[in-house]
Amino acid sequence: MARPAHPHAMQPARPGRTRTAPPMQPDQFPFQGRYRAYTLFDLTGAVYLAMGFVMLRVVWALGDGSFAWQALLDAFKSPVWIAFHGLALVCVLFVGARFFRLFPKAQPPRIGPLKPPPKMVIYAMLYAVWVVVTCVFVMILGGGVFP
Amino acid sequence: MSTAAKKTLVVTRFDPDRDSAPRTQSYQIPVQDDWMVLDALNYIKDEVDGTLSHRWSCRMAVCGSCGMMVNGEPRLTCKDPLRQYGETVVVAPLANFPVVRDLVIEMDGFLDKLKSVKPWIVRAKELAAEAGPVRQSPEQLDEFKQFSMCINCMLCYAACPVVANEPDFLGPAAIALGHRYNVDSRDEGARERNQIFRGEGTVFSCSYANECSEVCPKHVDPAAAVNQAKFNAVIDWATGLVLPRGGRQ
Amino acid sequence: MKHLLLRLEPLIWLMFGQGILIGTILLTGWLVVVGLAAPLGLVSEGSLLFLRAHRLAANPIGRLVLLALIVLPLWKGAHHLRSLSVDFGGASRDPAVASLLYGLALLGSVLGVCAVIRL
Repeated sequence: MARPAHPHAMQPARPGRTRTAPPMQPDQFPFQGRYRAYTLFDLTGAVYLAMGFVMLRVVWALGDGSFAWQALLDAFKSPVWIAFHGLALVCVLFVGARFFRLFPKAQPPRIGPLKPPPKMVIYAMLYAVWVVVTCVFVMILGGGVFP
Repeated sequence: MSTAAKKTLVVTRFDPDRDSAPRTQSYQIPVQDDWMVLDALNYIKDEVDGTLSHRWSCRMAVCGSCGMMVNGEPRLTCKDPLRQYGETVVVAPLANFPVVRDLVIEMDGFLDKLKSVKPWIVRAKELAAEAGPVRQSPEQLDEFKQFSMCINCMLCYAACPVVANEPDFLGPAAIALGHRYNVDSRDEGARERNQIFRGEGTVFSCSYANECSEVCPKHVDPAAAVNQAKFNAVIDWATGLVLPRGGRQ
Repeated sequence: MKHLLLRLEPLIWLMFGQGILIGTILLTGWLVVVGLAAPLGLVSEGSLLFLRAHRLAANPIGRLVLLALIVLPLWKGAHHLRSLSVDFGGASRDPAVASLLYGLALLGSVLGVCAVIRL
């Protein structure tokens, strides 16, 4: 069932002389067809906002000292936190994949004399950076380097 | 020889003089294998119900007149084969637009937005005719040619969730056409267009749905134009913070 | 307020864009190790001990990375939630919703700067 659009959606500056029926949104918006992925993309905003404040909590605990830091790490072992972090990881992967798909076409046709590389090269660069940075994090935080 | 079969078209009807709200009316008609949805609508108007109102013109996907919602998707009905649909086909006016009558939408809102981005070559000073034609390399043409293929069919507006909910948003086609001129080497109006792009109809309202590009029948990729326009608008904003605005374009 | 938001849109969009790009790239590794592997016992206990963690965090690069991990997701999240609000018919409430969300992101960003300074 289609939802009404904004009553002034696509309304002309000077309305015509006959009555018009109000605008309606597409039937599939917001939870069907391709709109589902779009709505989920927007919804990841809630997880990202929460993650930003979680990171704030993490850094604050690190600044508070060893007891606060250890207490936070112990709290992260609870099923609720593991589930939240798992959800956050899924959101991050989803957002990355969707955004990287759009990224090449958002590049300007040229910056000065330079043209952007072909689409596949941009994809490869983006995913390579993602994988490399993730591996660096894993190695550093996992204790593999800088013991 | 084409085989006649039957399909039912469920068509939105709305007469502002008689109806309080749009309703649907079903027409079961004989159809042919090679028909487009527009052929079925024209059959209805010619043979069944002459009161049905719908826009169409070129029948070859260059005029942009016949955009409608077909089974919930914005389509150019002149290039939408009927055979890909089942027994019942639902045809409605383009989403997100006020409806004038039946399948005819009010398009002046779109024309207002289009005009506001100055979709023409803007020059500080016109070149004299004696100077001859302006030369443009194939590379310079490539930078905007794709965006110039827009036929103003408004399918992108019907698909865009931001258009549905933000009345001031310029919309995919208007931004794509404004951007087309911004990157045209002959144009000198980028600064004034970027001001428009950062105004009430702000390009930054675009939320990366990409639906405009999914439905565009001419592969203009308006989402690319909108996001490139955002980038350019940011550069324009940043340089405006640092450099004084003078008469220089 | 609407006029102010329009003037700040390019900056907000920049922060949002970096939030998606850099924030996503940085968050993945963090979530894999600190969010999941460590609580599930898949990394050694010593790797996240306070002394080591503080030493990694307190150098200039560590502080910058942690600041990015706080600030960028906040702006991405705020902007996307604002977009969601408008998609569900919130255009008339947008100045209020945008102010609330960006206000939260700004507050978090300021606290984030304080947090990395006090490490």
